[in-house]
Amino acid sequence: MSDTNQSHSNTMPFSRIPFLPLLRTLIRQKYTFTMLVLQIALTLAVLSNGLFIVSQRLDILQRPTGIDETHTFALTSSGFTQSFNPQNSIKADLDALRQMPNIVNAVATYAFPFSGSSEWDELQTSTGQDEITVPAASYKLDEHGIEALGLTLLAGENFNTNEVLWQTQTTKTFPSAVIITSKLASDLFNTTDWSTVVGKTIYINATYGAVIKGVVEQLQAPWDAVGKIENSIIYPRVITRNSARYFIRTQANKLQETMVEVEDYLATSNQQRMIRKVQSIQTIKKQVYGPDIGAISILMVVIFALSIVAALGIAGLTSFNLVKRKKQIGIRRALGANKTDILSYFIAENIIQSTCGVLLGWLLALGLNVFLVSQYALPKLPLSYVVIAALCLYILGILAILKPAIKAMNISPALATRDQ
Amino acid sequence: MFGYYIKLALKSVKRNPILSLLMVTAIALGIGACMTTITVNYLMSADPIPHKSQQLFHIQVDSWDPNNAYSDDADSLPNQLTWTDATNFTLAKKALRQSAMGMSGGIIEPAGDDAKPFEASIRLAYTDFFPMFDVPFIYGTAWDSQSDTDREQVVVLSKRTNESVFGGENSVGKTIVIDGRNFQIVGVIDDWQPMPKFYDVNNGGFNETEQLFMPFSLKEELELPNWGNNNCWKSPDGEGYKAFLQSECINTQMWVELPNDLAKAEYMDYLNNYVMEQKKLGRFPRPLNNRLSNVMEWMASQEVVEEDAKMMMWLSFMFLLVCLLNTIGLLLAKFTGKSSEIGLRLAVGASKADLFKQHLLETALIGVMGGIAGILLALVGLQGIKSLYGDFVDDLASLDLSMILVALSIALLSSILAGLYPTWRACNIAPASQLKSQ
Repeated sequence: MSDTNQSHSNTMPFSRIPFLPLLRTLIRQKYTFTMLVLQIALTLAVLSNGLFIVSQRLDILQRPTGIDETHTFALTSSGFTQSFNPQNSIKADLDALRQMPNIVNAVATYAFPFSGSSEWDELQTSTGQDEITVPAASYKLDEHGIEALGLTLLAGENFNTNEVLWQTQTTKTFPSAVIITSKLASDLFNTTDWSTVVGKTIYINATYGAVIKGVVEQLQAPWDAVGKIENSIIYPRVITRNSARYFIRTQANKLQETMVEVEDYLATSNQQRMIRKVQSIQTIKKQVYGPDIGAISILMVVIFALSIVAALGIAGLTSFNLVKRKKQIGIRRALGANKTDILSYFIAENIIQSTCGVLLGWLLALGLNVFLVSQYALPKLPLSYVVIAALCLYILGILAILKPAIKAMNISPALATRDQ
Repeated sequence: MFGYYIKLALKSVKRNPILSLLMVTAIALGIGACMTTITVNYLMSADPIPHKSQQLFHIQVDSWDPNNAYSDDADSLPNQLTWTDATNFTLAKKALRQSAMGMSGGIIEPAGDDAKPFEASIRLAYTDFFPMFDVPFIYGTAWDSQSDTDREQVVVLSKRTNESVFGGENSVGKTIVIDGRNFQIVGVIDDWQPMPKFYDVNNGGFNETEQLFMPFSLKEELELPNWGNNNCWKSPDGEGYKAFLQSECINTQMWVELPNDLAKAEYMDYLNNYVMEQKKLGRFPRPLNNRLSNVMEWMASQEVVEEDAKMMMWLSFMFLLVCLLNTIGLLLAKFTGKSSEIGLRLAVGASKADLFKQHLLETALIGVMGGIAGILLALVGLQGIKSLYGDFVDDLASLDLSMILVALSIALLSSILAGLYPTWRACNIAPASQLKSQ
């Protein structure tokens, strides 16, 4: 007997956990045990789905648009008198802006990523009503557009000045050259060799033919109306309306001062219009993604609060059990169990509880996900999120019982057994 | 007896301050999260015009592309009308009241040298708009129907516009300059912000009411810019503003007031006849499919309540459930710890019913405390939502009395439910076994 005892005291913690008595204890406290398991299961379900939604939204937020988002801003110039001439005003403004030393380039456009308003055209590679069409958001930019937006031309070339058409909103004349995004090129021609796309003719809204002059790497649509955000087509056009929008790109680190400078200049240069909505693209992006940022914040608060509640619940129950079992622990200590045994007992108990919770929670998480998928266009929950959430819960559980378990470990056998 | 139980409950709550605090916090967090999301959902799905929402109908007719339905669903209808159809429906006067409407905007130049011009949104409508939606006036009235027909440059101001241009005084009869044109003011409306803004949910269901109102017929007359959503399946035939207006593009909303089912059925007949007539002219290539939706039906079909808001509500319900399970577990533990006291009281003559009542009262007390703390948390949560989503949700993020009552009842009910089982268990012990071990 003494030999076995000897060998026991030299073994690692967890190596002599009394599993059967442990299970029996858990079964005896089946109600608190059930509550704890249910709580862990539900927490896991909410945690894994919540984390998944957060990461989905973060993906949207971080997705690149193809433009220089950090050094650009936009503003609106609205003429309000009956004698206001929009075309002269836009030409004069852009000429002046392009002369400013802090400005890389400027362009008049209603559409840019995050601007929210866009028109969509249907494109096809041959004429006729019954061809398969590919939708694309339409941009109207002059030859300065590519530099002003900060686009990367992969093949072909930019528009030249005499290709650019100055038109009113309802003019029907169509330009003969266009530039398209690489995603649109591959959708139309099923190729990734962009140089082969240049020079080909496409047909817009089954009517107008135009030759592809260049391919840009990326330019997201201003508004994802049809789930084809990477499909954009640029026409060499400037649309003149009383209310014009300018998109301006500045030198690095000159954004803030240029915004002030430009607003001051434009406000005084022509009294027949007013300058409004001078906003950096970052600001506009934040507004557009406001609901997503909001949802992320709320979910993070819920996830955090939920973890705290779950941890406090586990800690509370463990400490309460501890009070009840003080005497038993004392007896076990008196009978030869050392401090590590007591600690590992509590940790093992906690791991068993967490495991039961995690197994049930896995099912609940999938169930909740099935519900969310059916109700609100949410993709299927990948297993990795359940695993991450489960790991979090294991760690949380052990942290929660650490204090009561150490307290139990330090129960003196003499004191605990004395008050009989 | 009740007072005595309260005293006992308070004493018991105080005896385990940390445990009690834990339970109150758990309930408060759960209630706080639920109340925040329920309030947002409740306000988003509120009936904006309760006394009339059954009699107001939004018109939909299928004027869309012969080859494709308006959306993926083959039965779906365009959510707006073409300018042509909305104008025809309004001029036909087949309903008690009717108005085509659209959005535009312009720049107001206030009189005075130092006054700065500012941009204002415009609601274009017919005179029926005001009595149909019970819009309250401070000064003057709506324009008369003659102004609609004669395309007079008249305007109704919102209260805020009247304040910023005329300092809030009675401006009826005065002139206001909008985009360089003179308009005569016929009325000023009082604060009016239907929530949701049901009459035009395509252009933001929770946006602010427009700053100016003017006759819809001026859209054609003055070629006013088209603000708001415009959707086309076919580009306009020809160039210019007229071609755009007369195209198959949809950019106009249309509401009618139909006081009863008979009027509704007759109006439906009128719509069907209209479409059949138009079919002869080569328009409306799709199968006959017209719809009248009352206010709540319209908002449901347009999914005015944000999906995010609904999803958050479901998650917060689960959160409350976790908090309640937490409370049940803690109560079980607490009452188990009290078994010797319960045994003693049973032995000296208390009935099980007495003890049951006493302990239920204790859980109810915790519930009420949690509920009150939860309401405070919900207020914080709603402030948080305001700061996250910006000003436009101001009207969506406020607690009213009924919501506070709902919060308290949920807290009380859920804590009592949570307490039922632990209480029942606690009261079902054999007194002898508990007393023996002392």
